[in-house]
Amino acid sequence: MKRVFGLLGLGAVALTLQGAVATFIPPRFCPDLGFLLVVALGLCWRSPVGGVCVAAAIGFATDLLSGSLLGQHALLRLAAYATARLGSRHLNLRGPLPQAVFVAALTAANAVALALLTSFFSPGSGAGIVAVRELLPQALANAVFAPLVAFATERAVARLGDEDGGQRLLPLASRGRVA
Amino acid sequence: MGEFRSRIAFSLLIATLVAVATISMVVDRRARLTGGSLLPGWSRYVLDAAVPLQKMVTLPFDGARDAWNRYLALVGVADQNEALRAQLAALREDNLQLREALVASGRLERISEMREDFEVPMRPAELVGVDVSPWFRSVLLDRGQTDGVLSGMPVISEDGLVGLVTATSGGAAKTMTVLDRQSAVDATVQRSRSRGIVRGRGSDGIVFEFVARGADVVSGDLVITSGLGGVYPKGLRIGRVTAVSDPGAKLVQTATLEPAVDFGRLEQVFVILRRGPTMELLYVAEDGDAAPARPGS
Repeated sequence: MKRVFGLLGLGAVALTLQGAVATFIPPRFCPDLGFLLVVALGLCWRSPVGGVCVAAAIGFATDLLSGSLLGQHALLRLAAYATARLGSRHLNLRGPLPQAVFVAALTAANAVALALLTSFFSPGSGAGIVAVRELLPQALANAVFAPLVAFATERAVARLGDEDGGQRLLPLASRGRVA
Repeated sequence: MGEFRSRIAFSLLIATLVAVATISMVVDRRARLTGGSLLPGWSRYVLDAAVPLQKMVTLPFDGARDAWNRYLALVGVADQNEALRAQLAALREDNLQLREALVASGRLERISEMREDFEVPMRPAELVGVDVSPWFRSVLLDRGQTDGVLSGMPVISEDGLVGLVTATSGGAAKTMTVLDRQSAVDATVQRSRSRGIVRGRGSDGIVFEFVARGADVVSGDLVITSGLGGVYPKGLRIGRVTAVSDPGAKLVQTATLEPAVDFGRLEQVFVILRRGPTMELLYVAEDGDAAPARPGS
């Protein structure tokens, strides 16, 4: 429970920081810290229940502080967490480069899914078109910051009492185990 | 057996969260269409809590920006000052001439009588944060229902139209800017009165869509709100035409606009405490929403 609340606090800090930083940096060059935190949790935290709860909470908070529909980011954060968790089991995502590539691909998939959802609920809004010049810088920014956020999250998880937190990246190490 | 139970419980948790998210989306969409976009109780608290947090985090950034603007970006201030003085003198001259013309035609008195209709109460608000999702273009304001700010009220700055309040809590308001891809504003070209729709394009700014046949839109034209959509008051500056696309065989032509408001430097805005007729109709049945402020109230 302590870890869940601690990570929720970390999520709040990430969203607040992003809301402030985005007033100075063009949004497309600003890393999506909430998204990166959720992906990092999928990569390094072995508790799926806690991970899912934190991912959903960060998603709902993002929806509140964003122009999206309530639940839109929550759904996508859950999907991102699940993908990251699966990825950490079946792919070798140790090291900054694999993490950066993985996050860039996930950012693109997330953007397309978001655009499709927005188009579905707001037909004719033009939101279905994910502009490449918005997507590319965003994927790049996320990729650059992904290893940093993953490292920080891993440390936070370990510090909050999960002694195995840093071992989660080992493929197959925790298959079938539910904390 | 224990592991099996855990798996079932975990699957149920995921299914519940996915269902809650999906239902929330449907409910929120429906609320936006029918007007009742008052936030649920728990989310109002979150939004209220976000404002002081955002202010606190933004403080050092604001300080850095002020320092930059005041001390480092002074190059060219003298020239700018000179140009502004010249502009002020020209405007004073124009003002005098206009006053003379009005007095001469006897319209000043009539305008004075009509002043009550034109005076719209406004509430200054500070921008405390921008959209935390890079795919949307909303901003968070530090004024909410306790200050008379309600969903559906237009938001402006001294430069022109900023957007529309989409959700409020006690002390905060979420505003969709005209840059957002979901934004559409009924607009007109000030010079030729050609009508069209201004749509947000995210980082690509805003575009003006109009029927190609018979339209007179050229680069440099000022596009203002038409007031016909019933959402925004008439005459608010939206942007200036920078390029007009070749219509070809298309019925609808587009023009790229440079927004009148510099959204990158936006800090102070004004909420017009009066909803347009369409918004009034949409939000009139909003549950728990106080009656919109009227002039003089």
